[in-house]
Amino acid sequence: MLQCIFLLSDSGEVMLEKQLTGHRVDRSICDWFWDHAISQGDSFKSQPVIASPTHYLFQVVREGITFLACTQVEMPPLMAIEFLCRVADVLSDYLGGLNEDVIKDNFVIVYELLDEMIDNGFPLTTEPNILREMIAPPNIVSKVLSVVTGTSSNVSDTLPGATGSCVPWRAADTKYANNEVYVDLVEQMDAVINRDGVLVKCEIYGEVQVNSHLSGLPDLTLSFANPSLLDDVRFHPCVRFRPWESNQILSFVPPDGEFKLMSYRVKKLKSTPIYVKPQLTSDAGTCRVNVLVGIRNDPGKTIDSITVQFQLPPCILSADLTSNHGTVNILSNKICSWSIGRIPKDKAPSLSGTLVLETESERLHVFPTFRVGFRIMGVALSGLQIDKLDLRTVPNRLYKGFRALTRAGEFEVRS
Amino acid sequence: MAPPAQSQRSPSPSQPSGKSEVSDLKLQLRQLAGSRAPGVDDSKRELFKKVISHMTIGIDVSSLFGEMVMCSATSDIVLKKMCYLYVGNYAKVNPDLALLTINFLQRDCRDEDPMIRGLALRSLCSLRVANLVEYLVGPLGSGLKDNNSYVRTVAVIGVLKLYHISASTCIDADFPSILKHLMLNDSDTQVVANCLSALQEIWSAEASTSEEALREREALLSKPIIYYLLNRIKEFSEWAQCLVLELVAKYLPSDTNEIFDIMNLLEDRLQHANGAVVLATIKVFMQLTLSMTDVHQQVYERIKAPLLTLVSSGSPEQSYAVLSHLHILVMRAPYIFSSDYKHFYCQYNEPSYVKRLKLEMLTAVANESNTYEIVTELCEYAANVDIPIARESIRAVGKIALQQYDVNAIVDRLLQFLEMEKDYVTAEALVLVKDLLRKYPQWSQDCIAVVGNISSKNVQEPKAKAALIWMLGEYSQDMQDAPYILESLVENWDEEHSGEVRLHLLTAVMKCFFKRPPETQNALGAALAAGIADFHQDVHDRALFYYRILQYNVSVAERVVNPPKQAVSVFADTQSSEIKDRIFDEFNTLSVVYQKPSYMFTDKEHRGPFEFSDELGNLSIGVEAADNVVSAQRVEANDKDLLLTTSEKEETRSSSHNGSAYTAPYDGPATSVYASQTQLIETAISNPASAGQAQQASLAIDDLLGLGLPAAPSPPPPSPQLKLNSKAVLEPSTFQQKWRQLPVALSQEHSISPQGIAAFTAPQALLRHMQSHSIHCIASGGQSPNFKFFFFAQKAEESLNYLVECIINTSSGKAQIKIKADDQSTSQAFSTLFQSALSKFGSQ
Repeated sequence: MLQCIFLLSDSGEVMLEKQLTGHRVDRSICDWFWDHAISQGDSFKSQPVIASPTHYLFQVVREGITFLACTQVEMPPLMAIEFLCRVADVLSDYLGGLNEDVIKDNFVIVYELLDEMIDNGFPLTTEPNILREMIAPPNIVSKVLSVVTGTSSNVSDTLPGATGSCVPWRAADTKYANNEVYVDLVEQMDAVINRDGVLVKCEIYGEVQVNSHLSGLPDLTLSFANPSLLDDVRFHPCVRFRPWESNQILSFVPPDGEFKLMSYRVKKLKSTPIYVKPQLTSDAGTCRVNVLVGIRNDPGKTIDSITVQFQLPPCILSADLTSNHGTVNILSNKICSWSIGRIPKDKAPSLSGTLVLETESERLHVFPTFRVGFRIMGVALSGLQIDKLDLRTVPNRLYKGFRALTRAGEFEVRS
Repeated sequence: MAPPAQSQRSPSPSQPSGKSEVSDLKLQLRQLAGSRAPGVDDSKRELFKKVISHMTIGIDVSSLFGEMVMCSATSDIVLKKMCYLYVGNYAKVNPDLALLTINFLQRDCRDEDPMIRGLALRSLCSLRVANLVEYLVGPLGSGLKDNNSYVRTVAVIGVLKLYHISASTCIDADFPSILKHLMLNDSDTQVVANCLSALQEIWSAEASTSEEALREREALLSKPIIYYLLNRIKEFSEWAQCLVLELVAKYLPSDTNEIFDIMNLLEDRLQHANGAVVLATIKVFMQLTLSMTDVHQQVYERIKAPLLTLVSSGSPEQSYAVLSHLHILVMRAPYIFSSDYKHFYCQYNEPSYVKRLKLEMLTAVANESNTYEIVTELCEYAANVDIPIARESIRAVGKIALQQYDVNAIVDRLLQFLEMEKDYVTAEALVLVKDLLRKYPQWSQDCIAVVGNISSKNVQEPKAKAALIWMLGEYSQDMQDAPYILESLVENWDEEHSGEVRLHLLTAVMKCFFKRPPETQNALGAALAAGIADFHQDVHDRALFYYRILQYNVSVAERVVNPPKQAVSVFADTQSSEIKDRIFDEFNTLSVVYQKPSYMFTDKEHRGPFEFSDELGNLSIGVEAADNVVSAQRVEANDKDLLLTTSEKEETRSSSHNGSAYTAPYDGPATSVYASQTQLIETAISNPASAGQAQQASLAIDDLLGLGLPAAPSPPPPSPQLKLNSKAVLEPSTFQQKWRQLPVALSQEHSISPQGIAAFTAPQALLRHMQSHSIHCIASGGQSPNFKFFFFAQKAEESLNYLVECIINTSSGKAQIKIKADDQSTSQAFSTLFQSALSKFGSQ
């Protein structure tokens, strides 16, 4: 039961206030919140649940905008946080991104959306497809306005057909001349390599993203060649549970447009596509750095956008680092960023140089963690493969597309 | 809440500064109101937008109310929405003008477009003006019967809104039973869900007064209703599913078959994309299986994967909330998670509150098979850039060492920390080595060799220094130069600021003296002399005690100060298992995030149904907090008296203090009230039976200490016609209830004497004064010059209450008094009494 939602700009200004129940929440709570956010520094700023003297506050920060919700009663915290995340997602979807100006320009739409998303403090519908039918996104409005002046409004005349149907995420009468459906496997590799070069943790978090433009009420089945790989799965509400339980087949009626069909996790991978080997040796007030990067396990496709970043310890006065490939930058906040791009065929990229320590310290005691980024198009590193995608009733012109992509998530190498 | 936002925020130069702009808008609106020219809606829309943007910034545009309503006759739905928004915002402050809007809203409620019908009905119910309630019943009744589900969903919530404005109207119109019918029969699940949430609130609120409502509330948990909702669960929206699951978690199945049926039905909810649904399902599973130990374990196994996925998939905010819940599960059943320890490894760029939780979990899941890996991992964090986390990880290594049987590897690691030459690492490691030695004295040889190499000059933190000194004293026979290190420490006695360190130093010198008398004699003399001259009471006392016992008999002194010690087997846990169980019972609530059961941070009112009065809702935070603390402590005290030792109770008490002692920026005076108020209320609302004794006892102690606290049980004021009970007791919730129910018996203005104003430096002075006249304060607040107090008093020998709201303005010297009484006939007498008490303030 939320009592009030505020949207704050990155300078703490209240951009929007939506009271949800009869018990008005005074704006001064935002001042309290902001004063504390400032006084507590960054770690407090991101703590999602805070107890203020009068209310419990939930906050989610997206693109500098703080979504703040207040309540005085006990409630499931994740529900409030999930809801705020959805609000942020829906708004950024509607407004084509989130920032102070775009919210101020479209605050009427934001009010309308909040009105439909939550009533009397209880979330109603957050499904973007339904909302889009109740309240047209602003860009369409302006288009329409330019054509027909005066009489148009950004509220559709009819209620969404789906509110009464059994597939609430989809309108009943969608029509397309070209029927298309795209399935993307997007994976993210999280890995930790410890000081001794041992891979202590390596996991894939993946999502199956679908972009569907199909007429009518299409019924899809998607099967994988090797579903036993998956450790844990989570589904969009449209996925039927039984076929998955018995045959590991995804059977669903998709929402229109882009959505996340499922997310999964694959644990205990044995190796990473690339290696990063940092060496730090410190002696008599200086520290030699040497970082080697290379391909360990060729995934069969090019690995690009390789970057290595690390935070220089505070005790370092100056750094002189060079590389034989790519560019090295030291940013103002003492982050050293080495962008490699692709690994050349003829040589292994390496970064080397010296760090000068503070005068009183002999050796380095705080060791940086190297964070690695990369991207591989066309491969899902978990090995998951889509077997086939079928439609129960095949429309006359149908195009199906599949893609895969793996990125580095939290890939870190300690030194 | 009273103060409007614009008074707090100075408008920035880019924002319109107010008056002239608003009157400009007024003029323009008026011009447009009657116009029927084409394109007029567009210009209206622009104007409305401006008005609402002003409203959003916080400029008061309520003066435009009439014009806005005039302009609202339109078919444009966006205009309507903006108008509804505006009206909803200002109707409460302009109840008379709100009447103007009723007409057009009612007309819109009959519009042929269901969207407009719904919107109008929602706005109508959101006006929340008590005297317009009569206009609500009709539209709501037809809204509930509307053939469009959108309108019905709005109407159901409308009923709830109506209930909060005027409960009696809602009950009289028989809305609850209509809702019940809808809940069981409507085809649209959103309507069903809204009915459920509305009925839960209404019946919980009514349950205290009506037998029938209580029965109805119980009936929500009956088998047919639960099964009905469960069977439709997949049709519900994700948020409504949370609501239903929350209800199911309270359901008590009759036999195990039923439990398994429910769990089978809900199993796929664990794979829902919405984390809130997953957690709600987990709660149901755990509540259902609490009594079935083996199934309960299986449930843990089952929910492990979904929870771990939730942690790694969501935004940081979501994963924090999930981690907090995971934390409580790990703490309850560490062995189940011991193979998943790698999930609790900290990532470099995680926020530190997440890392801290993870460190605790790593400590908990460590067992024989994974200790080596976990400790290796933790040691890497010790070199972390984030110093607090580095410290925590060293502590975690120590905790693991203390809970393991095989500590060889860990001790080596700890000793390596000591050689790292980082001051905070050394400090933490020293404290740990000390604890380790207390548990495993057999390691002393290895440890002492390393500790002996540490120069005491490099150790600055009191805790670490105390630990080092303790080891010097305890193992002085093994450390070659212990007496000399101690001696040099004694020489620098005056530079040692921490009392704890000085205490340890005294004891260590004593111990050393018993082992190596000739070398230590000088140091001992110097230490005792310095100790006796110390201004720190404990240090002084201990030095004196040592001195005298040495004088009496040296061997007795040795038996007292340095007896043979037993190794500590288990260190005390900070959080009692009682509390942990309570938090677990409140799974999927804020309690888990705060790691406190809800009675420690919410007051009773807010734990149950949603209900509070406006007057008390506005009151100062400080006192409310104090109330909470007191009631929490009382509950706690009752619960745990038999279970806890006093010291433990002290500890939890002080921690709950910290928890609620916020210093809000806008209540300077109130916080100071808080401190003293705690004492007052503590004595005022203690257990009724022993109230008198408790009060006297505490006063006796106060007198002993010569603190001169208010004389609470002073003789009742000389008023022949009315005697007040000096030990009156009233629960804050009862007060609220009564305040809402009773009519105002008397309303008066009274001026306060100049001495009174002069004495009014802080509210608590007045509170003490009034208490000496047997008038007790239950809540107070405000800021100079305006203060607000709620007092109560009880007639002696009869439990008739008098409730007073008193608003004092110190600049005008006026006090506005509103009195409500159980017995109206004596309210005049009470008023005289109250005023005479008030007028004596400052003159004594």
